[in-house]
Amino acid sequence: MKRLLIPGTLVALILLAALAAPLLGLPDPVRQDIAHRLAGPMEGSPLGRDEFGRDVFSRLIWGARTSLGVAFASALIAGVIGTAFGLIGGWFRGLGELLTVRSMDVILCFPPVLLALLVVTLMGPGAGTLILVLSVLYLPGFARVTYAEVLSARSHDYVEAVRALGAPAPRILLRTVLPNVAGPVLVQLSLAVASAVVLESGLSFLGLGVVPPAPSWGLMIRGARATMEQAPMLLFWPCAVLTLTILAMNLLCDALRDAVDPRTGGTRSRLRARDRLLPGLLPAAKPAPDTVLAVRGLTVEIDTPRGPIRPVQDVSFDVRAGETLAIVGESGSGKSVTTTALMGLLPSVARIAAGEAWLGGTELLRLPEEGMRRLRGGAMSMVFQDPMSSLNPVHRTGDQVAEAILAHRPISRAEAWRQAEALFRRVGIADPERRMRAFPHEMSGGMKQRVMIAMALANRPKLLICDEPTTALDVTVQAQILDLLAELRRDTGTAIIFITHSLGVVAEIADRVAVMYAGQIVEQGSVAEVFQAPLHPYTRALLAAVPEGDTPPAGIPGIVPPPHAFPEGCRFAPRCAHARPKCSAGALPLEEAGPGRDVRCARWQELACRSEEVPA
Amino acid sequence: MSAALIEAKNLSKTFPGKGMFRKSRPVQAVRGIDVSVARAEAVGVVGESGSGKSTLGRLMLGLMPATAGSVTVDGRPLSDFTGSEWRRLRQRLQIVFQDPYGSLDPRRRIGSQIADGIRLHGRGEAGEQVTALLNRVGLEAAHAQRFPHEFSGGQRQRIGIARALSTAPDFLVADEPVSALDVSIQAQVIQLLADLRRDLGLAMLFISHDLPVVAQLCDRVIVMYLGRVMEEGPARPVFHRPVHPYTRALLSATPRLDAARRKERILLKGDPPSPADPPSGCVFRTRCQHAVEACAQAVPELAPFGGDGRRVACIRAAEIG
Repeated sequence: MKRLLIPGTLVALILLAALAAPLLGLPDPVRQDIAHRLAGPMEGSPLGRDEFGRDVFSRLIWGARTSLGVAFASALIAGVIGTAFGLIGGWFRGLGELLTVRSMDVILCFPPVLLALLVVTLMGPGAGTLILVLSVLYLPGFARVTYAEVLSARSHDYVEAVRALGAPAPRILLRTVLPNVAGPVLVQLSLAVASAVVLESGLSFLGLGVVPPAPSWGLMIRGARATMEQAPMLLFWPCAVLTLTILAMNLLCDALRDAVDPRTGGTRSRLRARDRLLPGLLPAAKPAPDTVLAVRGLTVEIDTPRGPIRPVQDVSFDVRAGETLAIVGESGSGKSVTTTALMGLLPSVARIAAGEAWLGGTELLRLPEEGMRRLRGGAMSMVFQDPMSSLNPVHRTGDQVAEAILAHRPISRAEAWRQAEALFRRVGIADPERRMRAFPHEMSGGMKQRVMIAMALANRPKLLICDEPTTALDVTVQAQILDLLAELRRDTGTAIIFITHSLGVVAEIADRVAVMYAGQIVEQGSVAEVFQAPLHPYTRALLAAVPEGDTPPAGIPGIVPPPHAFPEGCRFAPRCAHARPKCSAGALPLEEAGPGRDVRCARWQELACRSEEVPA
Repeated sequence: MSAALIEAKNLSKTFPGKGMFRKSRPVQAVRGIDVSVARAEAVGVVGESGSGKSTLGRLMLGLMPATAGSVTVDGRPLSDFTGSEWRRLRQRLQIVFQDPYGSLDPRRRIGSQIADGIRLHGRGEAGEQVTALLNRVGLEAAHAQRFPHEFSGGQRQRIGIARALSTAPDFLVADEPVSALDVSIQAQVIQLLADLRRDLGLAMLFISHDLPVVAQLCDRVIVMYLGRVMEEGPARPVFHRPVHPYTRALLSATPRLDAARRKERILLKGDPPSPADPPSGCVFRTRCQHAVEACAQAVPELAPFGGDGRRVACIRAAEIG
């Protein structure tokens, strides 16, 4: 609402001034006074007199009545009719589309000034004619904008849902479709009003609009032009109000568009700044010699309008050569932010608040961008979830893989192409010569993911990060890709970090697993151990939620807390069946529960004893 | 089994090819499918993308016209219902969508969206019923005043279910209602659907790509591939002892927690063919490890197999089953 205040006041003032013109006791705007021709500011005429000695201030205000009246009337008429046309055309298609939207295209074929000339010649000049001409001119814009928006809105599930409820078409159009297309239509309205003001001035300037001596901004500019050298200010005033009005209108319509959209409501109260927790100062354990990546205490902070949030806090793990570490967690657990931080690809609003990450002898989190660039796609590379949007649609897939090789190695293009071909074969793409010349849209999802993997492997990385690489694929294709990754790891010894939300996939592919919840690792260890005997109640609940066929899956009550509302102490406590008051007392460390086994739970020892008593 | 509430016979849907000058080939999304759902029965439809399972759901609801075949409700074809009868029928057939973000109108409070179904059909005062519906799906009365973006994915899916229930339907198509949800939330929503079915006697067509989920919730299951039924029968037996090579491959490809259950992986070759250009004969033969020449000759009939009410469309079912 605050955003509406300034432009709203401005537009209201302009409109009020125009509406209240008869009440302001201004001098008659058409009364001539040749004696004071081109006079400067004088008593009763703060802005001086024009070429016929008429009061400039009075003419500005009275002129606003004409100019704005014409602009608003024509924009509104065009807006109402055009939106209705667009709704009908977009919803009913067929004949309705032909009559409403397609017929509008005819108007677009006329040059606007020619159309205005034609109508003025037939009907004679005047404000009424001007409104008619401008409405007709703006009609197609509204019809087309609405039409395009309706086409995209009608494919949404929520429109189909209202249809399934049995709502009649007019109701769907007015209650469901119209509010959702209102944003662009409002913008179009602001553009139409603004350009109608300009066009009115232009046409009046040409003598096709308002008839003198009635005041209008266009006529004022026209009149001032002749005496530009004697009285330049006469030209300035109408131009200034014209500019001001248009700017205010545009601002207002932008603010209106945001205000009618409930999603952009910035009115909620700011969350109090949370107590800043000290990053867990772990003793710097010496990583094992075959460790490819060692992450210690990684914490990411993002400044948001509601205060700083920490979507990732105190995350530590190791990945050894030839090992697959799965990071598993639900949406909002921070698993993707973790790897994005490691790759140095965090968005600019996010920063690393604490921690370190060693890839061999290189500390990644403080490496300058140039150094990161050399590492990315080289020693460490990444495969993303969506193969459709990760490949460039306008380049051949072979070129994209060859380009990845050339970016890191000084070899000839022909040699790069030859190596790319070997990679295509390596990732199981049949007929690589032909496939390399294909564009991404000519390939299936599974095939594109193979190309992405080929590209990631191009420079024999030590570490491969896979961010949900199979989530967008069908299960039979997912099985193929998982097999391929397992095979590649066996053959090349590349360490893999595999991010997923599916525990089944973890069981299939990973050696070790780190379970994340609300930005923290809550448990990690070998997959066999963690899945056989989970220590953290969250891991246990997550495993029980997987449908495996015989026992009905048990859901976890409640929802994953958003980063600005992480609970104190154990973040899972509000959803945990074993929570005690001490769980929420203070931040919990990740405790070592055995060799290579960590857990973050205040009661893990008690609970572990208890679960041993229960026969399996 | 009691008489069918809703029944599809030889249902087919072909989408015309696109393009103004050179028409692409028409897509045969659904080809000659028979389904019947009895009162309070849950039928699962399983398949991968392009199998036509979502199209089947839309056809059963009359949300799109069928190219061939018919859908009958209580023995009357959908085309018989016109005018006010059609509107009364709409109350009885509802849908829950996959995408919890796209299926709610972002600009209206959820209470008003749920009230639509009540007001449209003049089912009395909306306020109390909206509260009852929200409570029914595990939300609170105060939530009615909020906008969709204020809810999590699982909560939105509950809202979508409440909206579908607002007309007191007999038949619900649930189109991948849990696929977009986290696993802990998935289980909550599956439980909710199972409760609704039990308490309200709701018949359900549950569309999913996830065979274990279907086995949980449904009495019967239909396995689809490229618009045709490969196998159908009681859900648990099909899940535990699949017969059709495609059902087997699908099940073996599903990642499992339990290593012991993870039988030898049947890895399918290549990608599913395009529904615009399906193979002749058995549509699965191009990826099937048991395919022989005869598979390309004729479309295999969906024939009874074994004694558990199962039907399988495979000429080699007896050999390999």
